[in-house]
Amino acid sequence: MADLLIQVHEVDGVVVLRPEGFINAHTVRQFEAALEAQVLAGRYTILLDCRLLNYISSAGLGAIMGLIETVRENGGDIMLCQLQKNVHEIFDTLGFTELYRVFATEEEALKSLNGAI
Amino acid sequence: MRNPPEPESFRLVIPSQTRYLNLVTGMAKRASMVAGMDDATSAKISIAVDEAVTNVIVHAYSGEADHLVEIELRFLPQALEVHILHQGRPIRENEVVLPDPREYVKHPRKGGLGLLLMSRFMDEIRYLETGGGSECYMIKRVV
Repeated sequence: MADLLIQVHEVDGVVVLRPEGFINAHTVRQFEAALEAQVLAGRYTILLDCRLLNYISSAGLGAIMGLIETVRENGGDIMLCQLQKNVHEIFDTLGFTELYRVFATEEEALKSLNGAI
Repeated sequence: MRNPPEPESFRLVIPSQTRYLNLVTGMAKRASMVAGMDDATSAKISIAVDEAVTNVIVHAYSGEADHLVEIELRFLPQALEVHILHQGRPIRENEVVLPDPREYVKHPRKGGLGLLLMSRFMDEIRYLETGGGSECYMIKRVV
């Protein structure tokens, strides 16, 4: 099985990326490319559905960090939902839960955007 | 059959390639559980090991794939020691600058996050220069 698979779908103008597996220094370029493809296509509201993400290292966090200003400058955002406990701990340890909006479910995240897209 | 080494330990030697990170972190997580850590602590140790080995591959060896990284895990009565040895550019303790997470959140940028995760998830980290190379030494105590 590949270290990382990324499913992409769109719901009401929001791009939902669902990474499955591990984001580390080996797979980060694949993750970064998936994010960059959305930004290049002008889709600036991105939800990372992390229910199948087992692990993210600082390389993956850097990839998100590298695009956050661009998407926000264009009226969008990168949001997160369904973080597994260990993934949430990594985000929380670094203070990223203050920097990004984190939701319990995809539905809650999408509901928070009602009328905003 | 010979007696096990004292302290009990084992080593894994990998090529300096990120494709082996998953193997190393999986081993570190399982070894942590053998050492008596709970699931959450084992996950943190595996992250710290990922970050330390990544630093060696990316920074000490500048991404060159034809070197070796040695990971040794030592099981102490109340702790797990992790020794990561290499022959690349040494990382010196006085060069290690941990970002302030509060400032990081205000002024996002890339870099430094791995060292911060290591420092938060392990009890002690030291960078040593041995006769035959360099070492990142980390310890996590069983609570």
